[in-house]
Amino acid sequence: MLFDESTLRKLNQLTLVAARVRAGAIKGERRSSRRGSSVEFADYRDYTPGDDLRRLDWNIYARLDRPFIKLLEEEEDLAVHILIDGSQSMNWGDGEAHKFNYARRLAAGLGAVALSAGDVVTVGFLRGGAVAAEYGPSRGQPSLPRLFQYLEGLEPGGTTDLNRSLREYSIRPRRAGLLILISDLLTAEGYETGLRQLQGRGHDAALIHVLAPDELDPPLAGDLQLVDIETEHGQDVSLDVGLRDLYRARARAWIQSTQLNCRSQGVRYQSAVTNHPWDQILLLRMRQAGIVK
Amino acid sequence: MQFLTPFGFFLAALAVPILLLYMLKLRRKQVQVSSTFLWVQLLREQQANAPWQKLKRNLLLILQLLILAALVIAYARPAIQIPTVASGSVIVLLDGSASMSAVDVSPSRFEEARRSIQALIDGLSSASSMTLILVADSPQTLISAETDKTLLRQVVNNAHVTQGPADWQSAFALAAGVARGNQGNATIVVVSDGGLPEEGLPAVPGDVRFLPIGTANDNFAISAMALRPNEEGPQLFIEVSNFSDVDRSILLSIYANDELLDARQMQLQAGASESFTLDQLSKSSSIYKAQLSHPEGADDLDLLALDNTAYAVYESAASRRVLLVSNGNLFLEQLLASLPGIQPFRALPAEDGSLQIPNDPFDLYIFDGQIPAELPEANLLFINPSTNPLFNVGAMHNEFNNVRVNEGALTRFVDWSGVHILEARTVQTPSWAAALIESDSGPLVFAGETDGQRIAAVTFDLRQSDLPLQIAYPILFSNLIDYLAPPSAFDSLTSLSPGDALSLLRPPDAGRIVIASPSDQAYSLAAEQTTFTQTHELGFYAVNFLTQDSTRVQYFAVNLFDADESNIRPRELIQIGQETVTPSTSQQVGQRELWKWLIALALLVLMIEWQVYHRRPLPVRIPART
Repeated sequence: MLFDESTLRKLNQLTLVAARVRAGAIKGERRSSRRGSSVEFADYRDYTPGDDLRRLDWNIYARLDRPFIKLLEEEEDLAVHILIDGSQSMNWGDGEAHKFNYARRLAAGLGAVALSAGDVVTVGFLRGGAVAAEYGPSRGQPSLPRLFQYLEGLEPGGTTDLNRSLREYSIRPRRAGLLILISDLLTAEGYETGLRQLQGRGHDAALIHVLAPDELDPPLAGDLQLVDIETEHGQDVSLDVGLRDLYRARARAWIQSTQLNCRSQGVRYQSAVTNHPWDQILLLRMRQAGIVK
Repeated sequence: MQFLTPFGFFLAALAVPILLLYMLKLRRKQVQVSSTFLWVQLLREQQANAPWQKLKRNLLLILQLLILAALVIAYARPAIQIPTVASGSVIVLLDGSASMSAVDVSPSRFEEARRSIQALIDGLSSASSMTLILVADSPQTLISAETDKTLLRQVVNNAHVTQGPADWQSAFALAAGVARGNQGNATIVVVSDGGLPEEGLPAVPGDVRFLPIGTANDNFAISAMALRPNEEGPQLFIEVSNFSDVDRSILLSIYANDELLDARQMQLQAGASESFTLDQLSKSSSIYKAQLSHPEGADDLDLLALDNTAYAVYESAASRRVLLVSNGNLFLEQLLASLPGIQPFRALPAEDGSLQIPNDPFDLYIFDGQIPAELPEANLLFINPSTNPLFNVGAMHNEFNNVRVNEGALTRFVDWSGVHILEARTVQTPSWAAALIESDSGPLVFAGETDGQRIAAVTFDLRQSDLPLQIAYPILFSNLIDYLAPPSAFDSLTSLSPGDALSLLRPPDAGRIVIASPSDQAYSLAAEQTTFTQTHELGFYAVNFLTQDSTRVQYFAVNLFDADESNIRPRELIQIGQETVTPSTSQQVGQRELWKWLIALALLVLMIEWQVYHRRPLPVRIPART
């Protein structure tokens, strides 16, 4: 059960605090608690399902037969893109520590925060080198159950090619906004060019690096053949204490180099090990990392 | 290199099961992981030292095969050929004589000889046997035709050098006997410093090889020391010899009963001897000791210390001094004069009847009817006594019913049947004495010991009986005097060589004889045993004659006095039969087995393998995916 009672309760709390927490802290200056109270017209924009119907410009609708939303002076919404890596390697971990579930919960949490704040939320499901499914763009708190429903329907599998998936996501015209990639990055091909391409489209990129604890410190020893559940590639390893230490060091170094790489590319980075509660990651760590505020 | 049991290599086939087991074990367990991405990266980094990794992976197998190889090779008993002095049936004559105690090779010649025999044992092939004969005053076969090297080494380690000469004739005769038992195929190895006789050794069957021991000949010796009794007192003769190649001066000290009697510095030419005598020494019993020492007081005078000390014993009891206190008794005087080994003295009472006893100590006092006011503390014989401190004497009596002779050492051969007595004194036999001859009225002759004194009494006047005319008279009195003043049991003046037997004349009364050696070891002489052969130590021995109440001690000395032993010059050649034997070099081929080293190697590798095995953690099963 992805969204069980406790998860939902946590999500509800998130929406309650959403008045103070908003995605895209980088544009924090445009935050307003008196949303829609302004009368000064600024612009129109397309209606998206979930928008407050009270703001629909009925006059325009009557004349053009197309729904538009009036944007008032003090209000500027944000497009939030949440991309979930759905490769088989994400299908790993036991119970609460399951990486894909963890990623979905993070996505739900982020979505809840964004929707509550009136931002436009798009969720992309990356799988097999393509965008396998997409949700949104949608706006407004009423969209939340549908978002959950959508997330619940996702099924991980297949290989990852993040570069290709991200490029595909970037090709389609979208509003530039905050783009959050949730992935374990366990792919030989890398993710950098894809992210750079998205940054080129004007997206403000953030990366949530989801890893299971046993990926950092594998509880393995002896003469083993390790089978990759994603590629089914077998790797012979004679694991002794020394090699296990080497692996641990190697995993740490990999995380560190990824973090450095992200910083140099202007990508905000947050590592999330699945044995930490996901809501804390969302509320504390990601605020520290500047992904939410 | 050769292998004594080559078929042991078939055990190498055990490698097959090890390899099979290893291959079975190496079938890897499959474990799913989320991604091998990091593993591939990691192992690619490790590729740089891939050969070592591969080796490390198989380290246990390699170590196990190494252990197996070492064990299999050990089982095949590899041996290398080494040159040795003797092989086959080896008879070793180990010189155990006094000269082997010389310290010219460290720690001593005998130790060096033991070492060379150990080397000989090491070089023995597995089919060779060894007989070990220690050549001392009488040759001993320590071990016979033994092939077990451990046993041989043990026997060699337990062999001890003696302080006496070596009987090479007997040793060679023994060796020849053993060699003939081997159909003459034996090799006789003489390990000696060469104190062998120049000629006269019997020819032996088989090869004779000679392993010379020793390097130097620096030695002085007291080559003779003897005492001779003389009217004015004993004479001591001492001869000192220099067996070295240099003229040296030495200090000779002579002690009597541990008190310095004389000391003189002597200048001795190389190879020369010098002698002198000391006259008019004390007539009392003494132990004389002569000792050579360094004139400057250095500890080591020469290489062989055994012959630097000699002993001589003077025993005054060689002639027993007997004092007869009497008014004049022809029977007694004639008897004392006729007994051998007796030096009689006579004391007459003064005109006024008072009795003066000479101060000189006597071995025996005979009081014939006279009793001094104070009895001397010595052995006493009373004849016709009056009351004295030792026993009470009553009135005369003349009733001699039922005279009987109590059988014993003192009454042996005494025939009392024809003896008639006019009157005798009434005496109660004292508690410390036993009646030898008695009637119903009391003892006629009794004897016993009290307070370490031997006392005998004849209760009648000899002149009031016809005893002096009977055969019983000399027999009884000879017995009594031998009892009261025992004759010397042996000749103390002559010193013995180590290993010589001492002949003892067992005194009739002696209960137990215990002999204390110079190293204070006590030997008890069994009854009827009249020779003592444990004279292997140099020095003086104390012979204790223990009776119920008293102890008498007599000494004798054992000295080396053997020029062959004191001359420690190592010999280049030995002459055996018609054959001259030169020092041997290693001509024959022996074997040294190497299996011990291989077993040690296998153990070492086993320990390493154990360590390696325990550095690998046991496999942990990853929980099954749900």
